[in-house]
Amino acid sequence: MDKHADGDAVAAAVADVAADCGISLVASLPDGWITSLIERFEIDGRFRHVQVNREESAIGLCSGAFFSGIGALALMGASGFLTCIYAITKINYTYQIPLLIGITLRGRPGDHAKFHQSNGLYLEPLMRAIDIPFIAIERGADIAQLATAFRHSRVMARPVVVGFGRKVLCGEA
Amino acid sequence: MDVTESFRLLAERLRDAIVVTSAGNCSELWWDITRETERVFYLEASMSLASLFAAGIALGASRNVVALSGDGAFCMNPGMLMVERAMALPNLKHFVLSNRCYGSTNELPLGFAQRADYAAMARAAGIERVYRIATVKRLGQALDEILGVAGYVFAVLDVEPLGRRLPSPPLDGPELKFRFGRYLERIGGRRIFDAPLYRNNDSESAIDTSI
Repeated sequence: MDKHADGDAVAAAVADVAADCGISLVASLPDGWITSLIERFEIDGRFRHVQVNREESAIGLCSGAFFSGIGALALMGASGFLTCIYAITKINYTYQIPLLIGITLRGRPGDHAKFHQSNGLYLEPLMRAIDIPFIAIERGADIAQLATAFRHSRVMARPVVVGFGRKVLCGEA
Repeated sequence: MDVTESFRLLAERLRDAIVVTSAGNCSELWWDITRETERVFYLEASMSLASLFAAGIALGASRNVVALSGDGAFCMNPGMLMVERAMALPNLKHFVLSNRCYGSTNELPLGFAQRADYAAMARAAGIERVYRIATVKRLGQALDEILGVAGYVFAVLDVEPLGRRLPSPPLDGPELKFRFGRYLERIGGRRIFDAPLYRNNDSESAIDTSI
């Protein structure tokens, strides 16, 4: 199986878990690691996929969707997540609105993109600084944790982040 | 046009709508006029995201959902227009209150936007139903069509600065969430909270104590 096919299989697995746990709205902005995943959500009839203009818009849209009784996922790269701190802390923390946010774990060892190394340095410390729960999805067996994270966000009425590693998204782990 | 008069008219004509107001004058003035605490979400903790927050609500609502933003907020995220155009929600009505200043911060001028044409920006984004309204009389006429005909609408209201300070709505975030969410559940929307407050949406006295 080639890498693209592996990525498609992972995307299908993520979509299955998302659908099963009640997610039907996905708002996304791309990162190179999640293009297969975004394409899957776009064509999968179980989801309404909305391409947004910037990551904060995904936070706003998905937070509003909570009041529609719709399960939502805001999907973005690590860099985009870093631009969302204002929206998350002001909207989701102030009003205690649950939200599942999916990000890429860019900048870790093995990511050769120099322009993502700042994410490796600051992404996880920043998440700890704002006390946002974080679950890493680094192996295929971890994909089911998406449902746990979604449920946890509703229980604690706060956003929860799931971070996808490169290898799992490529079907290598 | 006079901003207070325009909001009084909106409050009178939007009685059946769900309302989201952005930070600043929109929230303060709506609260000052209506004192409403259920069908309106005062999104005071955020600028620029009120209309997309409203879009999320509109996905599950049968009623019109009206977003009221200031132009300070609009200028922070005009790309929202393309997303709203793509979503094309028939029950989403987005009003921008154009006073060319930051109303809640001592009306500091919105200098860089003085020559911007927000309605033209919306048309350029592919939005077909765009209104630019400068009088209360015209607003009254336009509301018949805006609210009565299904389809996404973007409307710019040219208003004078408020010229006075108003207090924020006195609601804490979680209180606002529960008042608003329970209201949506009660009027027949989908279930929002995991723990139902009522066994039956039609009977507020039937409190579910089994949870």
